[in-house]
Amino acid sequence: MTALLQVENLMKHFPVNQGVILSRVGRTVKAVDNVSFAVEQGETLGLVGESGCGKSTTGRCINRLLEPTSGSIHFAGTDVRKLRGKDLKAYRRDVQFIFQDPYASLNPRMTFGEIMSEPLVIHGVGTRKERQDRCKEMLEVVGLSPEHIHRYPHEFSGGQRQRVGIARSLMLRPKMIVCDEPVSALDVSIQAQIINLLEELQKEFGLTYLFIAHDLAVIRHICDRVAVMYLGKIVELGGWREVYNSPHHPYTQSLLSAAPVPDPEKQRARSRIILRGDVPNPIDPPTGCRFHTRCPIAQFPICSEQEPPLRLVGSGHQAACHFAKTFPIPESRMTSGEGYDGDPAEE
Amino acid sequence: MPGGPAEQAAEARTLWGDALRRLRKNKLAVAGLIWIIIVILVAITADLWAPRWLGDPVEIDSSTAAQQRLLTPSSEHPFGTDKLGRDVASRVVYGARVSLIVGVLAVAIMIAIGLVMGALAAYYGGIWDAIIMRLADVFFAFPYILFAIVLIALLGRGFHNVFIAIGVLGWPSIARVFRSSILSVKANEYVDAARSMGASTRRILVRHIMPNAMAPIIVYATMSVGGAILTEAALSFLGMGVQPPEPSWGLMLSEAPTLIFSAPWLMVFPGIAILTTVLGFVLLGDGLRDALDVKLKE
Amino acid sequence: MPPLLEVDDLHMHFFTRDGVVKAVDGVSFTLESGRTLGVVGESGSGKSVTAMSIMRLVPEPPGKVVSGDIRFKGESILAMSEKDQRRLRGNRIAMIFQDPMTSLNPVYRIGKQIAEPLVLHKNMSRDKAWAAAVELLKQVGIPQAEQRARDYPHEFSGGMRQRAMIAMALACGPDVLIADEPTTALDVTIQAQILELMQEIQKKTESAIIMITHDLGVVADMADHILVMYAGKAVEYGPADEVFYNPLHPYTWGLLESLPRHDVDDKGALCPINGQPPSLINLPSGCAFHPRCAYARPECQTGSPVLTEIENGHYSACLFSADADFVQQFENRVSRDGDTGSGS
Repeated sequence: MTALLQVENLMKHFPVNQGVILSRVGRTVKAVDNVSFAVEQGETLGLVGESGCGKSTTGRCINRLLEPTSGSIHFAGTDVRKLRGKDLKAYRRDVQFIFQDPYASLNPRMTFGEIMSEPLVIHGVGTRKERQDRCKEMLEVVGLSPEHIHRYPHEFSGGQRQRVGIARSLMLRPKMIVCDEPVSALDVSIQAQIINLLEELQKEFGLTYLFIAHDLAVIRHICDRVAVMYLGKIVELGGWREVYNSPHHPYTQSLLSAAPVPDPEKQRARSRIILRGDVPNPIDPPTGCRFHTRCPIAQFPICSEQEPPLRLVGSGHQAACHFAKTFPIPESRMTSGEGYDGDPAEE
Repeated sequence: MPGGPAEQAAEARTLWGDALRRLRKNKLAVAGLIWIIIVILVAITADLWAPRWLGDPVEIDSSTAAQQRLLTPSSEHPFGTDKLGRDVASRVVYGARVSLIVGVLAVAIMIAIGLVMGALAAYYGGIWDAIIMRLADVFFAFPYILFAIVLIALLGRGFHNVFIAIGVLGWPSIARVFRSSILSVKANEYVDAARSMGASTRRILVRHIMPNAMAPIIVYATMSVGGAILTEAALSFLGMGVQPPEPSWGLMLSEAPTLIFSAPWLMVFPGIAILTTVLGFVLLGDGLRDALDVKLKE
Repeated sequence: MPPLLEVDDLHMHFFTRDGVVKAVDGVSFTLESGRTLGVVGESGSGKSVTAMSIMRLVPEPPGKVVSGDIRFKGESILAMSEKDQRRLRGNRIAMIFQDPMTSLNPVYRIGKQIAEPLVLHKNMSRDKAWAAAVELLKQVGIPQAEQRARDYPHEFSGGMRQRAMIAMALACGPDVLIADEPTTALDVTIQAQILELMQEIQKKTESAIIMITHDLGVVADMADHILVMYAGKAVEYGPADEVFYNPLHPYTWGLLESLPRHDVDDKGALCPINGQPPSLINLPSGCAFHPRCAYARPECQTGSPVLTEIENGHYSACLFSADADFVQQFENRVSRDGDTGSGS
């Protein structure tokens, strides 16, 4: 069965402008560099990584908010990159987007009703009355009072605005939603509400999610499969259990180890891998494996010369490392003396 | 700072409504607005009362001229009379017309050109942006008044050419303000949201960008009226603006410098008129900026 | 011996045109050398305002300390003259802010900014202060410190800027370091570096740290004691282990319960706290948390809970915390021996 969304060799390069009178293209930022993955109908694929890894850019290429530089995107068999005019508009009914910032993603001069009915207006769905009814219905679905259709965003909190953003994305009954950090800007106690809402909606409407976030705990909770990204590439891809319980790529291991856990005893007992240095400049990424400059198990010359491909390391589990799981992370690289949690030598 | 909303059962508060409320609370802005309204009313109704109460601003009664000239302010001539026996107060009143018309029309032209240029530069970016902005830079490089004088010399002196010149030369500022306003609105995610729904470019511009980008233009336009009035006064003072015998505040100032000590009323009253009117627009503009800016803060 | 820093029932209100914002409404804690206090709360909880009050950085008007006291080594900060307060600020009590880009002056070199407190408080000459600044940059782990001290803030990455801020805060060897969400804007791997750095520095200098954050993971790592704040009030205060494993206040428990975890096995639906945080101008009557509390009782609408000691050193501002049966209701997600049942 072909996947609902098939992405192959996706590249997105941003030119870095130079020149005073006219902007000339100088160097490029390879924000997304040869990324491939598939999302099955009904599942949630997570894209996780730190800032600059290219996860948001990837998401925006999927619904053509940004135009990919090269590569292919197929949705339900259709070549997304070739779509124009009416077909592109039709595609936008099927693939929707939820934005990160609840304060900037709603037009402050439109009422909730106008914001939510805009997708319907654009696609010519329903009469005015029908649209209003659908808005009220949707407000209830996302847990808000239907009277609010006449109110303005600035009268509401971040969590409530995000609910409207979610409602808006559902108006056209899409098949897939790209969620770009939908809870990062919200308070902790509200995040859980929105996460639950997204999960309920997925069940109720049979949605497929591409879920982009930097919070490992949120990704693990909501995703079926996870792709870990670093500097424009996917370094690990697999089911959530595989990636979180037996991470094969040193970056994934470092990420999991760096993320603090709200449990003092566990936190004290953990051995932490603290990466040295900063994330390299994406204009000038390191040669070979992009992670080699900070990698605790990098071996030279292979890691600085050859870029590791994504290799199968388990059932449905891939990692892009020359030494995935063949080397345990040595004691000297750890900050406390205890054994390493997800010891790659163990099974 | 307050956390969540107070979910009142109050009516919806639009951003414009909030801004209006804030403006009303700003005493200086309200004072400026009131003064402007007074000046407008005086100018509009001038024909009804000025000639009778104050005297004709233009006509010279040659028979009485000699006795009427340079009279100090009195109950009959509240602002005195000028060299040719005309009532200064009447001329100030009619001068208000000139100033207001020139100010408003000049800004209208500025906006017409500036909005289009700014929108083109901002929305299409790339080479259009470069061309338009460099063109604006060229305009900025020249001293405004000099440029205006040259243009009027080419077009010919007279009332119409004054506001045309001021307007045509003033578009770069509006274009710049509008361009940066559009660029900052464009960066908002609700524009991306509209695009990802399949909205057409036209819809995005009209529904999303324009309403949110207008606020700085409103402020700038208001302040520019004050600036245009000042420029007209300067041009008329230099003889390049309104021609005699039409009354213009700037022109009245130019008729009087040698008499500044012997007949100060000739300069003082037009001068005060210019000062207060321009100040009125500036205060109103300032108040508008404060009222409209805060809307973006949480 | 008086504690190093003591906040005693602080009430800091803002008098605005829309009403009185009770930003801090009853906060008490003590801090000793070499210890870390984690102040946890969401937006609007008053944690930042508390920190700013200690530094006397809150503009007055519209702010005003309505009641309560802040004492440093036994001496009241609030009663000090402006001159004496300035001698404390940056010198004995230093602060690190959340966004290092906006808290560093973009037009001055990094070295100069780090040297500034030394020149001001220690009366060092510019040359000596510059040398000391370079030394500090080395201590906070900036490579090639001599050259990098001459850089401007925009030439530093986020993590490096935060290190520079820490260097600036440490310049005069303060007794208390207040860190207001120091790692919130940073990537998780950089956050780990910064937290490690702060712990190393604390070991070396024995300074006390107040770590303000909304991230319970960060406090689990760093804090000896935890103060939980909600709607301007302190709702729970106690040793870190106690607060995590034996929460006495429904809000604390609700927060812990609502967190998704990346290290426990179950993946059931999350248990969020219902409702929204309240407006600080129109606080609910009685207990500020009661509209969202799963265990609220009629008394909660009228009773005014105060932070009281329930167990040894463990305080709670819930009317029923002292009742063992009440606390039993909380399904403890995280228990002491690392057992991670979903609770029952």
